[in-house]
Formats: sequence, structure tokens, C-alpha cells
Amino acid sequence: MDTFSALMSGFAVALTLTNLMWGFVGVTLGTAVGVLPGVGPALTIALLLPATAKLDPTGALIMFAGIYYGAMFGGSTTSILLNTPGESATIVTAMEGNLMAKRGRAGPALATAAIGSFVAGTIATILLTVMAPVVVDFALKFGPAEYFSVMVLAFTTVSAVLGASKARGLASLFFGLTIGLIGLDSQTGQARFTLGIPELLDGIDVVVVAVGLFAVGETLYIATYLNRQSDKIEQMKGSIWMSKADWRRSWKPWLRGTAFGFPFGTIPAGGAEIPTFLSYATEKKLTKYPEEFGKGAIEGVAGPEAANNASATGTLVPLLTLGLPTTATAAIILAAFQQWGLQPGPLLFETQPQLIWGLIASMYVGNVILLILNLPLVGIWVKLLHIPRPLLYAGILIFATLGAYGLRNSWFDLALLYVIGVVGFLMRRYDIPVAPVLVGMTLGPLAEQQFRRALAISQGDLTIFLRQPISATVLAITALVLFGPPLWRLVRRFR
Amino acid sequence: MTARSAIHPGELLISLGLIALGSFVIYDTQSIPDPQSAGGVGPRLFPYLIGIGLTLCGAVLGWHAISGGWRNVPLDQEGHDRPDWLAFGIISTGIVLHMIVIGWAGFIIASTLLFVLVARGFGSRRSVRDAIIAVLLAIVVYFVFTYGLGLKLPAGPFGVA
Repeated sequence: MDTFSALMSGFAVALTLTNLMWGFVGVTLGTAVGVLPGVGPALTIALLLPATAKLDPTGALIMFAGIYYGAMFGGSTTSILLNTPGESATIVTAMEGNLMAKRGRAGPALATAAIGSFVAGTIATILLTVMAPVVVDFALKFGPAEYFSVMVLAFTTVSAVLGASKARGLASLFFGLTIGLIGLDSQTGQARFTLGIPELLDGIDVVVVAVGLFAVGETLYIATYLNRQSDKIEQMKGSIWMSKADWRRSWKPWLRGTAFGFPFGTIPAGGAEIPTFLSYATEKKLTKYPEEFGKGAIEGVAGPEAANNASATGTLVPLLTLGLPTTATAAIILAAFQQWGLQPGPLLFETQPQLIWGLIASMYVGNVILLILNLPLVGIWVKLLHIPRPLLYAGILIFATLGAYGLRNSWFDLALLYVIGVVGFLMRRYDIPVAPVLVGMTLGPLAEQQFRRALAISQGDLTIFLRQPISATVLAITALVLFGPPLWRLVRRFR
Repeated sequence: MTARSAIHPGELLISLGLIALGSFVIYDTQSIPDPQSAGGVGPRLFPYLIGIGLTLCGAVLGWHAISGGWRNVPLDQEGHDRPDWLAFGIISTGIVLHMIVIGWAGFIIASTLLFVLVARGFGSRRSVRDAIIAVLLAIVVYFVFTYGLGLKLPAGPFGVA
């Protein structure tokens, strides 16, 4: 009942005319930008951060939620029509969806993606509403030791579980942690790693890093390695609407996809890759039309798209209740909160219920906006795909430099932007994941703070992390995640 | 796809870079003043741990780089054998010029320069068309961001703000 009334007061916030407008702007902007190949939700939000610094935080966060959803849908549109997945989570959609488009079924593919996203997003938001207060109650018992252990688990899963190589993931994480060190130490006020440069005293802004890695790095990479080939855009032919058979074949994959996506989003194992692949494999096994898989089966679009969206909503559970970002996008949303001096976590539910519940309520609204806006307007979004590549990337770089320069009108941020862009270029070239950098740099300083608080309480006794039951359990899980698989391989080899 | 040779110079260089960065972090940590906060740990412990972590990652990756290459690198590295360094150079020039120019020439001129050079880097041969699009885009962005969103952007010689 408490949750219900909190949610209702949230709707009172989300349904005010201004906030509805922000949601609308967010979804439109997110879709328009998300459709552009190479631009994902993380970059879109990072680019808009400096521009929203002076807005009211509730409205701006509602807009960011809209951008998140819109950009995800825009990304699926691109995958289906262009077969160049913007992010790893839409690889699966790109496989079957693009094949459907090749057979002239682009319309139903886009429709099942959009309606599936709506269904999954709404169910996942309901689950978020129900779960958040429970997690908050639990998290209120957390002390610094517990927080630190949970953050270590998040670091481990984000960098070592996902991706092709533990060593590269961890290198990326430590690089992010190093960036997070730069600036004044939050506890003692000592300058660290500022190299005597006054601009570095405030630390490096997450906007510069995100935009440098995603926009500048990606632009340099595409221009250097991939500019010789041209993309083939599939035409939108025939009806956009789904037939009765399409509906019959879609609704179960939507629900199963949601069931895969949401739990994977909530645990700090970040990213939608695993649930989308699981969903795809499941649908392939359960389908009555196995011969269509690999040629464009609608189940192969419906399931993974639902999983993708449900997991995106799921990542908001640890972000809002614990302040724990588990994906690149979540790390940037965390930075958005910090821009207004807000720290997501259990306390925010008590101090800023209007903002938090307004945000959650706006996610219900955002899903509806997404559905009514996108299906009819899909023709317009598709036109954006036809922007010639030179103009597209030139435009992206104008906004990238604007985002970095707008922070404090300093050429120094532009120099940093370029340096980080070159780093991003190298990371892309040598297959080093980027998300751990962002999670490391935003979460690192918080982890250090909790670590030092815990040790101040225990008077320097390191065993505090093992004597607290919750903390010890979380650290044990971390060790299992990190050392379990190689040990298992070793055991099997000796048998 | 040709077979991967034993030593990968690019991967080795990045690994050495990580080791260098990690060593620098460890070295520079010693110059952080430590006011010996009571009971807790000072501002040096985390930098030490992170420096060690970076160095270790660099060492492992360095070992991989000289023993057959980094592990699990995706094979569909289309275009990697034919890099277009001219494009890289032109776009880099654009970004650096923009950085030098924006302070005194203003946002609109700097962005136009950047736009034309990036488009050129991507192979566009129609620089006049690009410049026209760039000026229009920059003017719209300038007014939306300065008047609409209250962001301060340098106006340059044609300053109207």
C-alpha cells in the first residue's frame, strides 16, 4: 500500500504538463539520435548532460529516462534495417531482424520490436516498482563494509565476466579507476595526480570521457578502418503492421524475453548480452518453425528485443536503490544525478521521494509515449539512416566538442577529449571493452570512500570485510565469479 | 585471414603503455601528502592498489602479446590490414584546430572548420556544400544552446551575444 501511494504521488509528478513534455522530448530525441548508426543511449545522455545542468533535476532525469528508452528502440531500428548493431545487446536483433527485412518483412520486425519493448518495459517497470522498496529496506542495513563489497562485486562482473578477455576487461577497469583518482581526495582534500595542472583539480568529467570514447574514438575508428565499405539499407516494404500469425508467434517470446532480461539487469552482471543470447537460444529451441531461424524468424526478434528492454529497466534497480551502475549508460545516469548533488541509494528514497517516484512513474509514461510515437513515425526515423556518412560523423563531432567545451569553456577539456578519443580508438581497434572505464571512474571514488569509512570504524582492522556476514557473502561470490571458472577448468583437466 | 604471427607489436606497445602508466601511478603516489588521518587509511592506499593492478594487467597482456597474441580477439577484423591514416590525420587536425580556434574565432567558425575537415576525412569531395551545411548547423546549435539552454559559448568576431 505504501508503495502504491508513493507510486501515485510519482504519477502526480510525472503527469504534470512540463514533465510530460520532458518525457516526450526525451523519447523523441533519444529515438532520433539512437537511430543514427554508432550513437547509443550512453553517448546521447552524455552529450546532453552539460546542456541540462541548469534545468530542474526531476524534469531532466525524466527526459533522460525517455532518452534511454528512445535510444534503445532507435538502436533496434538501425539493427533491423542496416545490420550494424550499435551496441552488443542488439547483435541478436540484427541477426534475425535484418534477415526479416531482407525478405521484405521489415515492418513486422520493427512492430514486434516496438510492441515487445513496450510489453517488456512495462512489466519490468512494475517489477522495479515492487522490488525497489524491498531492496531499499535491505540496503538501509548496509554499512560502509557492505557497500564496498557490493562495489567490488560490481567491478568484477562488469569487467571480468562479460567480454572476451578478463585481462582486457580488468585493464579497462583499472584505467577507469585511475581516471577516477585524479583530483582532490574527498576525505583529506589532498590533490592527487593533477600533475600541477589547475584544471585537473576538479577531476576529469565523465562527459569528456564518455564522449571521447564513444564519439571521438568511434569516429576515428570508422574513418580509419571501415570507411571503404558502404552500408546497405533495407527498404521498408509492405505493411508495417503485424498479421494475426505474427501476434500469435510474438507474445510468448515477449514474456519469456522479459523473464530473462529483468533478472540479468538487476544483478550486477551489467549489460543485456547474456539475456538476449539466452532468449534467442530458447526461442530457437521452442519454435514451431525451426526452418525459419537463420532466414528471419519473428520469434528471434521478439524475444531478444524484450530481453534487451527488460534488462535496461532492470539495471535501474541497483542504480536507484544502491547507487550501483552496472553498464556504461547507468554510469552516465549516475553522473547525471551527481551533477545536481544527488547520490542515488536508499537515502534518496527518503530525502527525495518526489524525484525518485516521479522518475519511476515517468517510465510507465515513457513506454506508452514510445509505443504511440514510434510505430506511426517509423518512416521518419528511417529517413535519418540516409544521412551520408561524412555529414553524419561531422555532425556528431560538432556536438561532441560542444558537450566537452560547454562544461566550463576551457580548451583544456577539448585537449582531453582528443587524448581520450585516441585511447578510445585504440581500445576499439584492440577489442578492449569501454564500459569498465566508465563504471570504474564513477564508482571508484565512491568505493574508496566506503573502504576508508569502513576502516575508520574498525580502526584499521581489515577483517571487518570478512566479519560482517553480508559483506563476507558478497566477497565470496566475487571470488567465485573471478576464480571459479579457471579453477573448474583446472579440476576437469586433472580428472 | 592469415595466421596470426607470434609477436604482436601493437598489442605489446599497449601492454607496455599500461605498465608505464601503472608504474607512474605507483611512483607519483609517493608525492601525495599523507596527513595520517586517525585510525583510517590515507589518500595513498587506493592509488597504490590501482597502480599495482594496472601494472599486473599490463604484464599479463604483454605476456599474451609475445606468446601468440591477445586471447579471444574476434576474427572479423575487416579493414584492419588497410588502415587509412590520412583520414585519421585529417580528422585529428580538425579537432586540434577547433580547440585552438574556438576561444577567439568563436563557436560558429570553429565548428564549421571541424565539420568540413571531418567530412573531408570521411572522403567527402564537396567541401563547399559541407561548409554551407556546417554554417547553418552551427548557427542553429549556437542559438539553441545559448538562448534556449543558457550555455555560454564564445561568439567570436561576429559576436551578437
